[in-house]
Amino acid sequence: MPFFPQTEYQCGPAALATLLASAGAPVTADELGPEVYVEGLRGSLQAELLGATRRHGLIPYVLAPRSEALLAEIGAGRPVLVLQNLGLPRVPVWHYAVVVGYDAERDAIVLRSGTEQRRLERSRRFLRSWQRGAEWAFVAVEPGALPATATPDAYVRAVADAERLLPARGADAAFAAALDRWPDDELVLFSAANRRLGGHDAAEAIALYRRLLARDPGHAAARNNLANALADEGCYAQALLEARAARSAVAAGDALYAAIDDTVATIERAATAVPAAACP
Amino acid sequence: MRTRHRWFAALVGVAFLSLSIQRAALAGVIDTEEYLNALDRQATIEHIDSVLARDEVRAALEQHGVDPAQASERVAALNDHELHALATDLDNLPAGGSILAVAGIVFIVLLILELVGVIDIFKKI
Repeated sequence: MPFFPQTEYQCGPAALATLLASAGAPVTADELGPEVYVEGLRGSLQAELLGATRRHGLIPYVLAPRSEALLAEIGAGRPVLVLQNLGLPRVPVWHYAVVVGYDAERDAIVLRSGTEQRRLERSRRFLRSWQRGAEWAFVAVEPGALPATATPDAYVRAVADAERLLPARGADAAFAAALDRWPDDELVLFSAANRRLGGHDAAEAIALYRRLLARDPGHAAARNNLANALADEGCYAQALLEARAARSAVAAGDALYAAIDDTVATIERAATAVPAAACP
Repeated sequence: MRTRHRWFAALVGVAFLSLSIQRAALAGVIDTEEYLNALDRQATIEHIDSVLARDEVRAALEQHGVDPAQASERVAALNDHELHALATDLDNLPAGGSILAVAGIVFIVLLILELVGVIDIFKKI
């Protein structure tokens, strides 16, 4: 497993390089400095470590704040970047390190930390420093793989946040992996269908929206997008029916109302402009 | 030659027209991010706020010595929630790598705590 020793204040770039290189991204601590380090703070911010992970084509997945989650990821062979407070709650000394293993015999956590490639910290002591950092930890996931502790909701959010920055094939693979793992989850179906629609695979998107709507006929956002997918295929009559059904399922003050109303109006205009085609 | 040009222009025109019809049909798509925001009021507020927050965070990073070109790319990689957090309280968030900025009696107390194994400040980091 790769290791990048840190120089002064540079535990952020160093720990991140260790994490990203372990997930197959060819990047060094020196290259990550300009992407995460903040000179004026003499340190790196948590959010920016997540942002830089996205910029390198990986999906940052923040773990549930529990030691069990951390150990489960380690057990699955995935290194975990952690925030430790090495000082006191009132006098914090923030430090990033990468947990790479657990030594059961010595009840110790194995870390890549600072300049030490293999640092052992007694579990209790490590956990205390981690708890003082609000038990913040994340893993870098290559598109197509899933973290051991992933939940459909948190994973879809993590992918949606990274989607713009991932290569198209990577984003496709990430949503496809979620669909494989949770084929009946509504948010997974919705987001995978959206991905297909955005990639102009309207036929596959239509099938996925319909699968979701069979489970939850009141899902107005899915019905709205189904209408758009049908219109994309030239099926304006069906599209209009779905769009109107979606609109009648939400109240006028709903956050989604404007988008759905826009769909109805657009399809109404298009339906008169283009003759009906043969539709499924 | 001239007719050929005209014919080509007409073809391009038709292509653009059909493209614009397709685009128009996709105008009301609700993407995953938008849908998730709509589920949660706080997320909606953060989303509305995100354009402003992006500028604030970029300015704050530049003030703290980050190269302006890099600052733009860095804020572009953050989600609404992260932007909001950084715009609200950038200076007081944990910044891993910071040194210990205390002296005198506090320093001695910390040293004692270190020696008895409560904290871990003075290791080589």
